[in-house]
Amino acid sequence: MSELTLTQARRIVQGLFLALFLFLFIQTESKGADELGWPVKLFLDFDPLIFLTTFLSAHRVEGLFWLSLILVGLTAVLGRVFCGWVCPLGTLNNLAGSLRKKKPKPPNPGWFRIKYYVLVGLLATSLFGVQLAGILDPVSLTIRSFSLALYPAMSYAVTSLFDALYRLDLPLVTPSSEALYDLLKKTLLPFRQPWFAQGTFIGLLFLGVLALNLVQRRFWCRFLCPLGALLGLLSRWSVLRRGVSEQCDACGACAGVCQADALPAGKEKWRVSECLVCSNCDDVCPKNAVRFGFLRGSPGGGLDLGRRNVMASFFAGALAVPLLRISPLARPRMSDARLIRPPGSLGEAAFLQSCVRCGECMKVCITGGLQPTLLEAGLEGLWTPVLVPRIGSCEFGCTLCGQVCPTGAIRKLPLEDKQQVRLGHAAIDRGRCLPFAHATPCIVCEETCPTPKKAIWLERVTVRDREGRPVRLQQPHVDLTACIGCGACEKHCPVVGQPAIYVTSAGESRSEEHQLLLQVPTGTPLPYR
Amino acid sequence: MKRRDFLKWTAVSSAGLALPVGLPLLGHVAQAARGPDLVVARGASTPQAVRAALDALGGMRRFVGRGDVVVLKPNIGWDRAPQYAATTNPDVVGTLAKLCFEAGAKKVRVFDNTVNDARRCYRQSGIADAAAAAGAEMVTMDSRKYRDVRLNGTALKSWPLYGEIFEADKVINVPIAKTHSLSGLTLAMKNWMGVMGGVRFRVHQRLDESLVDLCRVIRPTLTVLDAVRILTANGPTGGDLADVKRLDTVVVGTDQVAVDAFGTTLFGMKPGDLEHVRLAAQAGLGVMDLSKLQIKRIGV
Repeated sequence: MSELTLTQARRIVQGLFLALFLFLFIQTESKGADELGWPVKLFLDFDPLIFLTTFLSAHRVEGLFWLSLILVGLTAVLGRVFCGWVCPLGTLNNLAGSLRKKKPKPPNPGWFRIKYYVLVGLLATSLFGVQLAGILDPVSLTIRSFSLALYPAMSYAVTSLFDALYRLDLPLVTPSSEALYDLLKKTLLPFRQPWFAQGTFIGLLFLGVLALNLVQRRFWCRFLCPLGALLGLLSRWSVLRRGVSEQCDACGACAGVCQADALPAGKEKWRVSECLVCSNCDDVCPKNAVRFGFLRGSPGGGLDLGRRNVMASFFAGALAVPLLRISPLARPRMSDARLIRPPGSLGEAAFLQSCVRCGECMKVCITGGLQPTLLEAGLEGLWTPVLVPRIGSCEFGCTLCGQVCPTGAIRKLPLEDKQQVRLGHAAIDRGRCLPFAHATPCIVCEETCPTPKKAIWLERVTVRDREGRPVRLQQPHVDLTACIGCGACEKHCPVVGQPAIYVTSAGESRSEEHQLLLQVPTGTPLPYR
Repeated sequence: MKRRDFLKWTAVSSAGLALPVGLPLLGHVAQAARGPDLVVARGASTPQAVRAALDALGGMRRFVGRGDVVVLKPNIGWDRAPQYAATTNPDVVGTLAKLCFEAGAKKVRVFDNTVNDARRCYRQSGIADAAAAAGAEMVTMDSRKYRDVRLNGTALKSWPLYGEIFEADKVINVPIAKTHSLSGLTLAMKNWMGVMGGVRFRVHQRLDESLVDLCRVIRPTLTVLDAVRILTANGPTGGDLADVKRLDTVVVGTDQVAVDAFGTTLFGMKPGDLEHVRLAAQAGLGVMDLSKLQIKRIGV
């Protein structure tokens, strides 16, 4: 048996990391306890781009982020092995690129620099307090796209198939399909079909990223990825180098197999910052002239980003900040009334400086109520989490969103504290409420209210119906000192469509300006910074 | 039970509804010779109280036969730990499951259509663990398995109900006793809301009648009311230990209306205080007059 080539080894490692990524993704779901049992945000913890930009924008370091320094160190020694061997999006790009059989045209020689300009722009925005890196960070992008689009679509497709077989009720076929369906429900499928606003849009964007591989293999990694650019900069000092012996007769075989724009055929012009250490050039070399090792000397292939271009990217990023901040939504007391943030979220300004829109909280939300915003929080807040109680309320005994947040935008709170956090307050629409508007009994909001002392209380009244007959019933009222804005009442209100009781962010703990009452209810934590 | 059998079953049961109301009473007379109508067992050990209550009623073998598939329907509607008395005591459920197996049951299946997330409710209530320890299956309810059932009631003409309670050989209702702002209390009859699909919160507009309509078609083999802890205020969700009262009691009977009638006394109320109990007795679905019931009280 022949020895394993480096390329084969790399593919195995890539497969293992992709499997780990998917495993942790699937585990980002409650099984009934208030902990998950797996470090589901591990890939985000290792991500130095998220670490650096959060540090710049929010001046904060979250505990596990030190893990990303391991990746920094690794890159400084071995180069962009993360891109070539680990990154789940890189591996998916490889897979998508293998669909293209035709040899691609040589890439535009300058395009590889684009990602550095993207990086500089993102660093500038974060330096001035706007955190947009998560939108383009490959780990965040992949988790978000899987959580909000690909996984729900997969679940829908699989469930529809098994539902169809169930309805057909065929002998032999249906019993076995049901057994298989049972097994899938216990392993790969979500407990409940997830539904996400913008799922289609976010899914199309991700499929677009994969489709770019048909234009140029690893298009995203070569030209766009800001994390790749950051690691590229770090790899300039890498000790692992590529050497070409004198056997090389410049046949050019390596030029076509390079996964990036590292110019392997250029010998001394090889660009270490672009090399993904995929070792394709080593494996393909007919003279076996290429080798990777701890070699001396520095490679000649520079980046030549151009001072003007770097400055322009920096100022573009910096200018984006005021442009994004002129929305009235960013002003105190002018935020969207329905912008209900997850429990333990920082104050809005600090929240936006920290949230990387990775979608972990939306994936883990046990009721599915956490949804990505579009413009509710301004363009600056694109794809940040908002609770939509009608889809799912905040489960009283659950703290999972705070546990999976990689940047502390949603603080990890002990359950007793979380149960005191006010997301907002409920309000009753008396024009729609059955006991108020229609002389019809209903107490569902009171029944489902989870606070130990119910925040909804009932008043016994006698009202008259159209014929003037007295009807004895109970009318609900909200007690603002007890209401935490979880939205259970809104979720279960039987008034279809626009509910007769609904939550707004008025009174949310995290904002001093959003308090309704002169005296903040006792026993509740002070607003978060 | 296959789907066709199920349809037959509903047809037969609907026909049965058209018969005069004397039939259940005849059964009641027959039963008087066999022992008490209700057993109220009290004891610090919940498993022992449940066992003693069943023994006094003639043993689980009287109700469950060899090879039976038994459904236990506790109240697991809320995400609360057992000490809050918002969900059926797990020891009651676990002991009943064991008794079923001892009587020869092939399978014991446990489920409830929860209001809070089912994963959390099943686990936090302690019922998932108790069921697993007894060898019973915790069933995650499957939205495809609700079927429109004709109720021909005064409030509900038909409603999607969980098919399995009609397919099982034996059904045991295992409610907990709690307050409820609309029905007064939630006991055995109200517990059947946990097999309703559809937009079940709509039935609150005519709740008492709806509960009676449900009980026209859902006739459990046995009803075991858990009053180990009862929730005396802020029901049905609870959450404050100050609202919980420990009674260490279980009430067992075959007539769920009678069980509910007795259940009111645990809260210092009278059977007639619950409109749905009154209506159910009126419809001949059971007996609410406690003086007409043979009630056996035992201490363990």
